[in-house]
Amino acid sequence: MFDSLGQLGAAFVGFMNPHTLFNVIWATFLGIVIGALPGLTATMGVALLTTLTFSMPHNEAIMVLICIYVGAIYGGSRSAILLNIPGTPASAASTLDGYPLARQGLAGRAMGISTSGSWLGTLFGILCLALLTPVLSELALTFQSFEFFWISVFGVVVAGTLAGGDPLKGYIAGFLGLFIATIGQEPYYNYQRFAFGFTDLAGGIGLLPALVGAYGVAEVLQAMRGPAVKTISRTIDSIVPRIEDVLKYWRTIFRSGAIGVWIGILPGLGEDAAAWSSYAAARRASKEKEKFGRGSIEGLMAAETGEASSVPGAIIPVLTLALPGSAPSAVLMAAMMIHGLNPGPNLMIESPQFFYQIIAMLVIADMSKLIFGFVLVRPLIKILLVPRERLMPIVFVLCLVGAYAITSRVFDIYVMLVFGLIGFVMRELKFNMAPLILGLVLGDLLEKNLTRGLVLSSGSLLPFFTRPVCAVLSALTICSIIWSIPAVNASVRNLLRWTLAGRH
Amino acid sequence: MADDAANLLPHEQPAPPRLDLFIAIFCLVFGTAAAALAYRMPTYANQGGEIYTAPGLVPGLYGAVLVLLGGWLGVRAIRQGALSPREAPAARPSDQVDRRLALAAGLCLVFVVGLLGRLPFWLAAAIFVATFTIIFEWQAGLGWRRRLRRALEAVLLGLATGITVTLVFERLFYVRLP
Repeated sequence: MFDSLGQLGAAFVGFMNPHTLFNVIWATFLGIVIGALPGLTATMGVALLTTLTFSMPHNEAIMVLICIYVGAIYGGSRSAILLNIPGTPASAASTLDGYPLARQGLAGRAMGISTSGSWLGTLFGILCLALLTPVLSELALTFQSFEFFWISVFGVVVAGTLAGGDPLKGYIAGFLGLFIATIGQEPYYNYQRFAFGFTDLAGGIGLLPALVGAYGVAEVLQAMRGPAVKTISRTIDSIVPRIEDVLKYWRTIFRSGAIGVWIGILPGLGEDAAAWSSYAAARRASKEKEKFGRGSIEGLMAAETGEASSVPGAIIPVLTLALPGSAPSAVLMAAMMIHGLNPGPNLMIESPQFFYQIIAMLVIADMSKLIFGFVLVRPLIKILLVPRERLMPIVFVLCLVGAYAITSRVFDIYVMLVFGLIGFVMRELKFNMAPLILGLVLGDLLEKNLTRGLVLSSGSLLPFFTRPVCAVLSALTICSIIWSIPAVNASVRNLLRWTLAGRH
Repeated sequence: MADDAANLLPHEQPAPPRLDLFIAIFCLVFGTAAAALAYRMPTYANQGGEIYTAPGLVPGLYGAVLVLLGGWLGVRAIRQGALSPREAPAARPSDQVDRRLALAAGLCLVFVVGLLGRLPFWLAAAIFVATFTIIFEWQAGLGWRRRLRRALEAVLLGLATGITVTLVFERLFYVRLP
């Protein structure tokens, strides 16, 4: 216990130098700006900054990326409140009550609630990360190929089922991502799969160019497609959060924090699902249901706390299982790998100090976000007024640099363009991108563990279903698929309703 | 609370069944092609390799799953009326939306294929940003004075972007530029 506190203290002290604090300030500011600008997402911000921080020592690079991540998720609420447009998908639930509050002349109060809810949510998430990561890590150390295979499959299926929209299309996107991950040399015989004689394609599809394309270029096309937004709420009352708002809704804060962390831990779901689920749960439990959607303080608090607590939540499976909980955390995981860190069960053994550093980074980023939340009101309004006709070409230039810089291959720029097109078309066809990206991230893990498991069991499928963790994960995966069949879903709901009615 | 349908994110809105049927056909064709190509890959059994490590095993499996999922989507789309002649065509975006999209995509492509590698990066980026801004900010009926001012601002924005990106990435963070 004291040893852990000592290591945590050492991590904080290690970051308390002017150079690191300077990085924290600009990165959090940039994150909030990226989040606030509609069309720029947290995933894109983290992906672009991965390139910029390439030459930094790993601690500082990950610190910058975490500040961007935390800042961007929070920044999205500014445009949600002032423009009625979520800056990032995570802030979509905040528009429901944030914008009505702004229209009532309470934009400042709404921003205060958003700041306090987001700050408390991230703190709650950090506490959960500190408590859960060592336990999960220890459990994950007992896992073999069979368990890791099911974790990968479970990740793709759960992302497809719960990420929003049509689950069937979620599965298709997930398996398409897994298939794309097989392009290039395979691990056992270096056979070039689906390369068709192209040397560049034999090297495989880089995760970062694909992510920059799917989230950056696709967003540029999407943003330029629509008409420009001109209205903005400029009347700002006091932005200092009221203590009675926090005290009155403490139950909502804890509930939303817990929901956010749980959804963050589930693979690939991310902050938007956390915000919507927290909002729905708050509405169900509220005594003021009628205010929801018309400027409810409780609704806004729930959405903000839920999305903010899911950020540390999404990092928990990265540190313990090498499984990203959200799209931005997938990029964060890729950045950790680029910097020579080894996220997964061995992280706590190989570099335990990094776990404490992550906690310190999140706390520092959260505090920095709180300060900027109070300071950056009028400057952000000015930034929100920058027309997209001027912003988007700059974003495209940054995407291009981001895709190219890691391996200096022109081929990666073409990968970025192709994934930009795929991302745009898939969104038009009502697909969610999260399962595709998760499939791309987990493809290698799934393939290696499936083949290794089959070799270990001499082709027998029994260990994939009979080992305790495998049995649970396989049952959950199958139930998840069956649950997404509307007829089965409706029958089970009717049966439950009938059983409950019979009891009363 | 707002209506439930209004709370759905763009990707959560249901697509028309006929569109789903086309997606299903794509999945069936793509999955079959993937599985067929995977089947033709060597197994290395003659070199003592385990059949479970054959290069085509996993992509073949994914191809088969995509065929199954495509079939499921296709059957569902047909049951929802995808083949019905009365099925309403999907709402088409306006021509202006199509033009803006084509223009943005075209300019990005010209930047990558036409400018990159032929000019220094800062100049290529400056030309791209300036051209993009001038074209998208072009408005009919605007006086030449205002038009000239906007064009000048766009050129300055382009130059600022090209020079800043080059300095920050190349000189400050030692990142190589295309």
